[in-house]
Amino acid sequence: MTDHQWSELAAPFALGALAPDERARFQAHLAECSVCRAEVQTLSEVAARLAEAAPAATPPPGLRDRILREARQFRPLGRGRGRGPLAPWLAAAACLAIALGLGYGYLRERAESRQASAALAAARDSLAARDSLVATLLSPDMGTAALAATGQAPSARLYWSPSRRRVVMAVFRLPPAPAGRTYQLWAIAQGKPVSLGVFNTAADGRVTAAMAVPPGITFELSAVTEEPAGGSPQPTQQPFLVGKVTRAD
Amino acid sequence: MVPQQAGPRAPDHALVARFAVGDERALGELYDRHGAMAYSLALAIVRERADAEEVVADVFGQAWRSAAGYDPGRGSVAGWLATITRTRALDLVRARGRRARAIERAAQADSDGLAAPLGATADLPDRRLERGEARRLVVRSLEELPEPQRRVIELAYFGGLSQTEIAAELQEPLGTVKTRMRAGMEKLRGSLAPLLSGGGS
Repeated sequence: MTDHQWSELAAPFALGALAPDERARFQAHLAECSVCRAEVQTLSEVAARLAEAAPAATPPPGLRDRILREARQFRPLGRGRGRGPLAPWLAAAACLAIALGLGYGYLRERAESRQASAALAAARDSLAARDSLVATLLSPDMGTAALAATGQAPSARLYWSPSRRRVVMAVFRLPPAPAGRTYQLWAIAQGKPVSLGVFNTAADGRVTAAMAVPPGITFELSAVTEEPAGGSPQPTQQPFLVGKVTRAD
Repeated sequence: MVPQQAGPRAPDHALVARFAVGDERALGELYDRHGAMAYSLALAIVRERADAEEVVADVFGQAWRSAAGYDPGRGSVAGWLATITRTRALDLVRARGRRARAIERAAQADSDGLAAPLGATADLPDRRLERGEARRLVVRSLEELPEPQRRVIELAYFGGLSQTEIAAELQEPLGTVKTRMRAGMEKLRGSLAPLLSGGGS
């Protein structure tokens, strides 16, 4: 198929009017062709505007209340197995959310990374590890989350570089996990916890650890739970540290 | 740069960002802004008011649960909601084994099409002038398309039909349908340019 023929598929693709096999082939082409991607982006905007051409109708008066009522009942972590709802996690995060603007946020993070340098020193046992930490901290798109305790005194600071798919976490005042237990760091992506890895603190209650973020994971919240040694596929208890990611860019 | 204030007129994407921390007021506000659009679109596709209500409740529930799925780089919040609404509404029509309203309209030989007639739109009390103007531009642009082009676009968007299905529905050659769809979308791209992110707005 010539380039010209490919671009002819952009309009029906944007309208969702391609047959499944044709759509699959065009999607594969889109991965490689920035011209067609730009075409699809614009024509998709055109298609989305068609919604406004629908004859105006007034929603029933009770619909708004119903939507809010159902939102209140939403329990993504409940799954009917007696686990608590996400709401406490979210409420804790709401208290911690720091609204940082452009530029301002970046400068502030730079200042805070000086505080983290003490924690970084703990990682100097491995030159490779240190380089990785520094590289992550210097990423221009770095996000950060301050995790504060929901009951106890420990705190943690998380640095996340989406481009490098790495997080670096510095934990303070957290006693080492008991025998047979470990701490586990979670990214909350679209309401679902995704494990970023397990860690433990030293006798002084500190640790600095770098962990890989699975591909395609974008997260707004991060949390720490205590789990059986080796970690759990899903959290088995309420987190004691929760934080919201703020972006430096 | 000064930190952005979440004032009385926070942008849509700021409302969606507040979903992540369980802010129900942000959900209510987003519904106040786009609920009528979603309901009108759903009704245009599913026909039954009760079904349209189900769709809209579902759409805002999904937006609430999966706010992280909204990527500001890929379009407006309104466009995101419209896409979810259209998908849900077409799913429901298919699940019921019905034909969407757009297909019924197209089946009537001399129908005026599905989109709102301009006069009816003008009577609407628009809460926000800019939105009303945008809507009028969309309606007018669609009305100004040659009727065969408008019809294939409506069958695709509101009827959820593929090009092949449209050709069968209209009993026209597939190549003709493809040409009309492309030409119509090109014209809309031109006339809606002020509303598009790459356009002159």
